[in-house]
Amino acid sequence: MKHLLLLCVFAILVSSCSNSSSNTKTITIAGSSTVLPIISNAAELYKETHPDIKIIVNAGGSGVGVNQVGSQKVNIGMISRDITSKEKGLYPSILFKTQAIGKDAVIPAISSEIYDAGITTLTLEQIAKIYKGEITNWSALQGPNKDILVIDKEKSRGTRHVFMATVMNNKEADAPGADLVLGSNNEEQTALVQSDAAIGMLSMAWLNNDVKGTSIQTPNGEPVAPTLSNIIEGKFPITRDLTIVTNGNPTGEVKNFIDFLLSPQGQSIVTDNGYVSIK
Amino acid sequence: MSVLNNKIGKGYVLLSTYICVAVTLLIFIVLFSNSYDALHQVGLNLFTLEWNPSSNKFGVLSMLYGTITVTFIALIIATPLGISAAIFTSQMTSSKGRILIKSTLELLASIPSIIYGLIGIAFFSTWVASIFDLSTGRTLFTAGILLSFMILPTIITLCDDALHNIPKHYSEASKGLGMYPYEIIKNVLLPIASRDIAGAILLALGRALGETMAVMLLIGSIDKIPDPFYNILSPGQTITSKLGREIGESAFGSLHFSALNTIGCLLMVLVIIITITTQVHFKKERLYE
Amino acid sequence: MNRKNINSIFKIGIWSAVTICFGILFFLITVLVVKGIQAISFDFLFTSSKNFGAEGGIMYQIIGSIILVITVIVLSAPVSIGVAIYKSEYIKSSFVQNMTDTLIYTLNGIPSIIYGIFGLIFFVNILNTGISWFVGAIILAIMILPTIILSTYQSINSIPNAFRENANALGLNKWQVITSVLLPRALNGAFTGSLIGLARAIGETAPIMFIATAFSGVTIPERIQEPISTLPTHILALAQQATNPQALQNAWGASLVLITLVFLLSISALVRRIQFSKLNY
Repeated sequence: MKHLLLLCVFAILVSSCSNSSSNTKTITIAGSSTVLPIISNAAELYKETHPDIKIIVNAGGSGVGVNQVGSQKVNIGMISRDITSKEKGLYPSILFKTQAIGKDAVIPAISSEIYDAGITTLTLEQIAKIYKGEITNWSALQGPNKDILVIDKEKSRGTRHVFMATVMNNKEADAPGADLVLGSNNEEQTALVQSDAAIGMLSMAWLNNDVKGTSIQTPNGEPVAPTLSNIIEGKFPITRDLTIVTNGNPTGEVKNFIDFLLSPQGQSIVTDNGYVSIK
Repeated sequence: MSVLNNKIGKGYVLLSTYICVAVTLLIFIVLFSNSYDALHQVGLNLFTLEWNPSSNKFGVLSMLYGTITVTFIALIIATPLGISAAIFTSQMTSSKGRILIKSTLELLASIPSIIYGLIGIAFFSTWVASIFDLSTGRTLFTAGILLSFMILPTIITLCDDALHNIPKHYSEASKGLGMYPYEIIKNVLLPIASRDIAGAILLALGRALGETMAVMLLIGSIDKIPDPFYNILSPGQTITSKLGREIGESAFGSLHFSALNTIGCLLMVLVIIITITTQVHFKKERLYE
Repeated sequence: MNRKNINSIFKIGIWSAVTICFGILFFLITVLVVKGIQAISFDFLFTSSKNFGAEGGIMYQIIGSIILVITVIVLSAPVSIGVAIYKSEYIKSSFVQNMTDTLIYTLNGIPSIIYGIFGLIFFVNILNTGISWFVGAIILAIMILPTIILSTYQSINSIPNAFRENANALGLNKWQVITSVLLPRALNGAFTGSLIGLARAIGETAPIMFIATAFSGVTIPERIQEPISTLPTHILALAQQATNPQALQNAWGASLVLITLVFLLSISALVRRIQFSKLNY
């Protein structure tokens, strides 16, 4: 019994050592949960035509993406915001090279019950007040009499940076009115669905029947709906590039994969996932 | 030849122990040295309320409060239930039944914490939200409930051992005096076992303090002390949940990372003190011979 | 209120508490089994996961967990047995005895996420190993050292001194005494302790989630410095999508598989302990 165990481990260790000069090249990727579906799906497709390449993908958020590229632990980072100057300062020896592979919008998303009750448009100022804690009940916005469940995100998440930059003019603004702090788009979507009076910030690909995106009322009075055409035309105020970042210019297999992402096939994955292609 | 074997044998045994010692010391050294930055630069400001890494504010009070509250809730729920169940298994069941129940409890104590987290997210957060009519079920209370489930088997098993190990002549003498089971348990058995029961509760406390996964998913992760402070039906934050969520995001070597390290060390030291106290406690002489 | 009534109230109280306790525990198991069974199918167990885990199966997660656990045992058992023998046979002063005990209990008390942070700092950053399944195994091995040490020690300790003295009288030196008299029992205790430790290690998420695992694209690691995918971290990723019914169902399925593995290990350990407690000297 013990001999069998020892043999197994020995086999694994031997095989793992002998592969250091193997044919399999590994590309490691980590970062934003918004960009993750594109990269995951692209990786699966890419592996069908390049079976000797291994692509390992991890989530964690845009902050993790920057950190991992900065500390040279991954080949490609996925970010859905700009790299802050503070982050650049933490990694002075790294040359961050970014490449946009798609476009996305961050939508103020609310529970469908509130949306169906009539609140379909919000001004940036109203959203800011909600996150600051100055508006606490949907009735103040002519909605049902329910306390607003304000869902915030972890501070380094790309979605948050972009949202806060537009809504509060400060990408790392505090949100004193927040009730919950969650992580990925997945978690946020889950919490929005579980509640019937919530507001959160979601990437456009995560809207569904229970989570509706509000239109934003611009200062000149026109509500801009979060539709694809508005986003492509740049009318929707909270948009961002979905970016991948590498240390220096990408070379070799990494470059091949990035080229694949920018190819028509790769871009169709971007649109299949609900985002806007870069062209 | 056998003398050589003897030397090799001794060498192997010593080496293992040295590895063990070295690893433990290494853990402490690595963690404490990484906390140095934060302690040096933030110092006593660690004990403030606001946590905002981008403006270099690292106040951990809300996390401490959350950890203490959630653990307290868990103990309040699990202790009476656990001791009662232990009374049942040690005094009121046959020995076969007792072994069966204890084995089941051991199995249940081994359920991984992530599964408790999953059950909490899928069921308890929605139940708490609808029962108490809250906007969200991710609260200190929900986390406390799940924690109590996790420590319940531990409390039951250890208290049962404590009660079972009391020599039979105590309960028999009391029965001979005409005492009812309630009186025997309350006036004779519980006081004798009280030390061991206290030890069991401390051990459960230690486990609850260090629990990460279930709490992280269920607590809402908001760095605030609820307002009013006794409102456990609102979201909050514990040390373990904060660590779980932010360690990956903070850059290694930054002040943010160091601050996270510091609160981790704080928790570690607390849990180790509790663990060592219980172990020493259990070794002390019993009140009976 | 006379004493009899108080007694009856007490009995009712105890029975209610017991019902609640066992109700809770029964609920947990039922939920897992009922919901999990719905997800289990041949495909589920033997295909890889896709699309955030919401589709596909958990094959590589199962393989990953098993690989990790086997490595953990290989790393942890030799060291644990050595320490247990040292504690039982080689320590003369009670001061050293107390120190060793403190050491073991300290290791036992460190929360699992702190182990994860230690691994992150020391291995991933200082030693620059990157995300590596082997490092994850090392960390888990350290975590279960106390469990195996204590179990082995208990077996060795239960052997009466008479055996050791007899062996000495026959002219065997110390190490020969250990190998011939103590080691068989020690190995038994170590094996039982390993089962208990592994039951814990296979379900741990926090220590390995930053240092050893990746979300997708992981098959069987071919090098030491590659990540691995395990059941608990997969369940974590799925739990964060709890309102996606497909993801949730897969989460239950993965949980059921994980629980089955854990219970297999725990039950084996339990059976062995009951068997060996019947051995008398």
